[in-house]
Amino acid sequence: MSATDTPGRPTQEELDAMTPEELARLAGTLDDVEVVHNAPRWPVKGTRAEKRAERSVATWFILSALAALGFIVAFIAWPHEYVAPGEPGYTLFSYYTPVVGFLFGFSVLALGIGVIAYVRKFFPEEVSVQQRHDGRSDEVDRKTILAQLASAGKSTDIARRKLITRSAGAAAGIFGIGLGIAALGPLVRNPWKGGDDAALWHTPWRPENGETVYLRRDTGILEEISRVRPEDMEPGSMETVFPFRESDRGNEEALLHALRASDAPVMLIRLRPDTPTVKRQGQEDFHYGDFYAFSKVCSHLGCPTSLYQAQDNRILCPCHQSQFLATEFARPVFGPATRALPQLPITVDSEGYFVARSDFIEAVGPAFWERRP
Amino acid sequence: MTTESTTRPPRRRWGHGKLKRRFAAATALGAALVLTGGIAYAFSETTGTVNEAQAQPDTALVAKGEQLYNAACITCHGSNLQGVQDRGPSLIGVGDAAVYFQVSSGRMPLARQEAQAMRKPPLPQFDPETEEGRANLDALGAFIQANGGGPETPMQTGAALRGDDPARGGQLFRLNCASCHNFTGVGGALSSGKYAPALAEPTEEQIYTAMLSGPQNMPKFGDRQLTPDEKQDIIAYIKSVTNGNNQVGGNELGGLGPTTEGVVIFIVGLTSIIGFAMWLGAKN
Repeated sequence: MSATDTPGRPTQEELDAMTPEELARLAGTLDDVEVVHNAPRWPVKGTRAEKRAERSVATWFILSALAALGFIVAFIAWPHEYVAPGEPGYTLFSYYTPVVGFLFGFSVLALGIGVIAYVRKFFPEEVSVQQRHDGRSDEVDRKTILAQLASAGKSTDIARRKLITRSAGAAAGIFGIGLGIAALGPLVRNPWKGGDDAALWHTPWRPENGETVYLRRDTGILEEISRVRPEDMEPGSMETVFPFRESDRGNEEALLHALRASDAPVMLIRLRPDTPTVKRQGQEDFHYGDFYAFSKVCSHLGCPTSLYQAQDNRILCPCHQSQFLATEFARPVFGPATRALPQLPITVDSEGYFVARSDFIEAVGPAFWERRP
Repeated sequence: MTTESTTRPPRRRWGHGKLKRRFAAATALGAALVLTGGIAYAFSETTGTVNEAQAQPDTALVAKGEQLYNAACITCHGSNLQGVQDRGPSLIGVGDAAVYFQVSSGRMPLARQEAQAMRKPPLPQFDPETEEGRANLDALGAFIQANGGGPETPMQTGAALRGDDPARGGQLFRLNCASCHNFTGVGGALSSGKYAPALAEPTEEQIYTAMLSGPQNMPKFGDRQLTPDEKQDIIAYIKSVTNGNNQVGGNELGGLGPTTEGVVIFIVGLTSIIGFAMWLGAKN
């Protein structure tokens, strides 16, 4: 539409005289579209074949409607609450997800197939060709549009209104900075806040106010405090233990934190009697008899290294196949881990319960910049 | 797999009190001496050496167990259960729980020395599905139990060993077992050819005795670490997620997580989408 006097462009009178069909054809012509072939799908109306085609399209829509109805009914009425295998109603329950999913999916699919089937069965067969326009817009368009923009800018006087441009710029800019802070702010954390007290350096095993930290097990019930005693464990066994303080009793949040904190889990391992061991220098008294407590957090990338092989006393990390030797202060013997698992100093109190003598003496988990190896 | 909840034919248990044990031991010694006289000829090789002082009331059962032991186990575990260098470990103190697990699951007798014993069909005379097999397992267990004690098989069998709280069992399973056996019990790899087996095949009793005895590289879970109730809840959970019981979304595709699921959606899903697109664009 480069110029108004393109050949073939009709005048007002000609337009008024045109039928709707002619107008539609004109729309194509103006866009340089040429219809090469156009034949109606059903030249003779009302034949049996046409009726059959109509019914087949409608069948898809009806199926879709029925499936949608079925989905609504199943979603509301199908029993969806857990039933253990073998109990009455298990079979019905086990079909909940497939039934709901199938009906929903089939409803959408049948609707789509119906639309496509309609297009393919009833739209006329048509082959059209549209001319392709290459290159840039012509010279007149390019010159005028630039001049128009420049003149619009000039007429609004924006170039002279320094106060308005600057204040508007300040508003938009500061708002943009605010958006940036909101987006990036949560990513900025300071894990070293508090210096030596920073969260990276200590774990929930750290005794606070001189309170004893016991080793508890997780029985699957939060309030059921089961403190570990040496006689609880058979030789050649491993148990995951968590810190427990008497002041936490009844405090659901504190109890849950002790069980869920990422640096809290400790593997308490009881070796078989007379297993030869090597102690780490400076940590010779961290164990209690055959009991050794190692952090469960891998020193490579922090996965839970709880695959304890009771026969060869190796501790495996499932993520990158590091192996640690439980008989030699959990030093790495295979895989990418380079540091031994930190050992928790433990002993038994006068009542016979395991207690932590102190926090870990090094940071648990993967390395970080400030960590000394 | 047996699912009927039967109670095992009552087997005599021995008391735990010191006095009771001494009394039982004295009685047993007397009984054993009388019996040994009768069967001394058949067992003259071994009866004198096993530790009768710890023996138990049912001497006939122990004797039968010893006979079975001598026929099937003695080559690798030695005439006094002391083990044989490079063949088999000592069986003193392993308990009848270990016997039941290893023999009824076919792991023992061992087919060959390798990273770890594999589950295979049990010897016909130790098949827990048959009456005779159960009796022989009992006898063999009694013999091992009489020599050093150890964890014992539970009184209940079959579905009676399933607890009533699979949800809590699931929590305990994920904390204690899932690291090796996978969270739906399909098993997983350990180091140097060892592996944690899938949990679909073992019976309730085998799972229970495995927890008690800590077979191969599995740590032991004594009754003070996981109470019998907790063990039964764990079994209930295992039974509720294995053997096609955890397929509420259709086929579980191995239960291994996103890898198989991704492969299937890539191949099946993408193929059907491409097929659909081709149908859309096809000319009549």
